[in-house]
Amino acid sequence: MRIQFETLGGFAYFPGLQRPIHIDTERLTGLQAAELESMVRAAHFFDQSDSIRPSGAADYRCYRITVEDGGRSHTVQVVESAADQSLLALLAYLRTLGPEGPS
Amino acid sequence: MGPAKRHHHSIFCILPPHLLEAIMKNGSDDQRRAAAQTLRSAAAMRIARAAAHERLRALAPAASTGAPHKKRVIFNAAHTEKIPGARARAEGQGPTGDAAVDEAYEGLGATFDLYWDVWKRDSVDGAGMELDATVHYGKDYDNAYWNGERMIFGDGDGRLFNRFTIAVDVIGHELTHGVTGHTANLDYNGQSGALNESVSDVFGSLVKQYAASPRQSAAQADWLIGEGLLLPGVKGVALRSMKAPGTAYDDPVLGRDPQPAHMKDYVTTTDDDGGVHINSGIPNNAFARLAISFGGYSWEKAGQIWYRTLTDARLAAASQFADFARLTVVNAFQLYGAEGKQAATDAWSQVGIQVT
Repeated sequence: MRIQFETLGGFAYFPGLQRPIHIDTERLTGLQAAELESMVRAAHFFDQSDSIRPSGAADYRCYRITVEDGGRSHTVQVVESAADQSLLALLAYLRTLGPEGPS
Repeated sequence: MGPAKRHHHSIFCILPPHLLEAIMKNGSDDQRRAAAQTLRSAAAMRIARAAAHERLRALAPAASTGAPHKKRVIFNAAHTEKIPGARARAEGQGPTGDAAVDEAYEGLGATFDLYWDVWKRDSVDGAGMELDATVHYGKDYDNAYWNGERMIFGDGDGRLFNRFTIAVDVIGHELTHGVTGHTANLDYNGQSGALNESVSDVFGSLVKQYAASPRQSAAQADWLIGEGLLLPGVKGVALRSMKAPGTAYDDPVLGRDPQPAHMKDYVTTTDDDGGVHINSGIPNNAFARLAISFGGYSWEKAGQIWYRTLTDARLAAASQFADFARLTVVNAFQLYGAEGKQAATDAWSQVGIQVT
């Protein structure tokens, strides 16, 4: 499973902070890979709407996540305040991974 | 698609977007799927937004004749992402000793005071709405945002960014998103979104200039947005500069401030809702130029023109830079005659927007 994760938006636009994080579960430890894959499943990632935007809100951060798995690929772009709990858990885990991925 | 699903969908079509979003968060799986489907329908969203907005606009008085209703409540999320969090300080209560709580309280007060003292606007909605803010949001959270109802402030990561309550103009910026939501309701995308952002920077900067002791004239103001937010070690002075867009920072990690000051450098992008925090540099610079050319305090003339434009029923939600500029020139003429009209026309011309 391969995941690309980007943080977009916010109070200001910083070009240097727009780099996506790439994660390949084959390069993680067995435990980390299993944890990440179970979070993707728990979030029903491939059934998530591809874009969720709030109305009347501003300066919010937005996350763009692409998951490739077994020939499938799906991208979800979600505003932080509009995400459900399981997707928030996945987002929180992805955010702990530095730009170079987990060590 | 079965009849039950169609039924759901028709109900959701007449629900305002904020209710749909609540359903997205809290509803059953079926409800959430139906709500998501409706939210994806841009046309339905626009209709609901426009209808809700027209009701708000009709209800909200332009200026109050009664007493102000300053009601602030600051909540503490205690480094979680749960909103609103625990009540930490309410109107009239003394300082808590927690810098983020107290700065948010003071900043909300400074913003309320500017709108009330200068325009007799009674809070964000013009009708005494309670001002709510949540601080200590999330862990290492590098952002401040308006969620449509309240302000939310992170503490920063302690490496690049300081706590977001540290700059009073950031607080004025967020609250002004609420004011815009209750007035022109500028679409948060492309040029109308950049205008929405710019209006927040303009009034955020006015809050800073008005709250300073002593008050600052347009000539004395630094016109920086988010001064003090970047920690020592980051190469920059603020997040944006209205007087000199594109010069606020140039740092190995953050990159270089991408804001243009002139239409010839307008950035076309799909990032950042179509560059709302990027191209806002252009109208920001027009405002700073106008305020400086008038002299005196920025809220005395330039601020009057901008406030009148923001609350002008002729300003459409989808307004582009040229539409907004034209209306500021019309309002400048009505307020300050031929001299005001010329000053506004010149300020826009200097950023590459010709009003004829």
